[in-house]
Amino acid sequence: MSARDFIESIRGKLMRKESLSDEVVDGFLRVLEKVRTEDVTCEEVFEQLDEYVEKEVDGKDAARLMPLLREHLDICSDCSDEYEALLDVIEKSTEK
Amino acid sequence: MAVTRSNESWLSDLRSDGAAREAALAELGKVVQHGLPYALSRWLSPGDPLFMPLVEEVTQETLLRVLDQLDSFEGRSMFTTWVHKIAIRIALTELRRKRWQDSSLDELMDNEESPAPSNLVADHHPTPEAVSERTDMLERVRRILEEELTPKQREALTLLGIQDVPLEEAAKRMKTNRNALYKLLHDARLRLKRRLAMEGLTPQEVLSAFEQK
Repeated sequence: MSARDFIESIRGKLMRKESLSDEVVDGFLRVLEKVRTEDVTCEEVFEQLDEYVEKEVDGKDAARLMPLLREHLDICSDCSDEYEALLDVIEKSTEK
Repeated sequence: MAVTRSNESWLSDLRSDGAAREAALAELGKVVQHGLPYALSRWLSPGDPLFMPLVEEVTQETLLRVLDQLDSFEGRSMFTTWVHKIAIRIALTELRRKRWQDSSLDELMDNEESPAPSNLVADHHPTPEAVSERTDMLERVRRILEEELTPKQREALTLLGIQDVPLEEAAKRMKTNRNALYKLLHDARLRLKRRLAMEGLTPQEVLSAFEQK
């Protein structure tokens, strides 16, 4: 298949896609429940993630102290994965 | 793994020349390697053939990045927590890349064409009225989405809605970055939320209409 044919085949598929699937609509609505006007970006979350996780491990109410970060973690799966991985490392790798 | 160094000791040794720096780097490499199995435990088992090469690669890359970004460490956490955070970003980025590089756009689009699980409409024996209400609501929300979203927002939403493509991978496919894509989605969400409010609806109400028996 030539590059042109390949592009055309993808374009054809994209054009045929006429409506968003139920799954997509559902997922979007579920996230909407949590979305706030104020927000931080993934990069801002990354900058503060170590501090946030340490607060949690120390038993402090990190979600109350850093609410925007918590809200971002609730709706961004990539950042949430990084948060959970860091929490696992700090909690488990320091166990005696 | 007990780490006895203070933040200051890490920083001063890593900034020094010669043996102290080498020793600190070697020690830091061990800290990273000790943490990675925990970090990756949800995605990759230590028995996986990908595991050891990934750990080696991530450790090297982490040490380079740490040295490069040493001045950006503000001391708001333990130095090693900051380093683990960097290692995790590198590892998960690499893992997502490896996991998604083989699934072509073609394949995604083919899957998309198969009937989506209609989890909004199919439920435990709903009454005909409930089915009708859900169908109407679904169509209404779909219409709002189609009217409100820009083509780019729509593309992002579709991509993220299929096969749980991670944000980072969707960003790569859309030739943008994760931050920009997150902003794009955030704007889309706010826009839709406002529109629903204008129509006298909240997301909770819409979802509860879908979920009622």
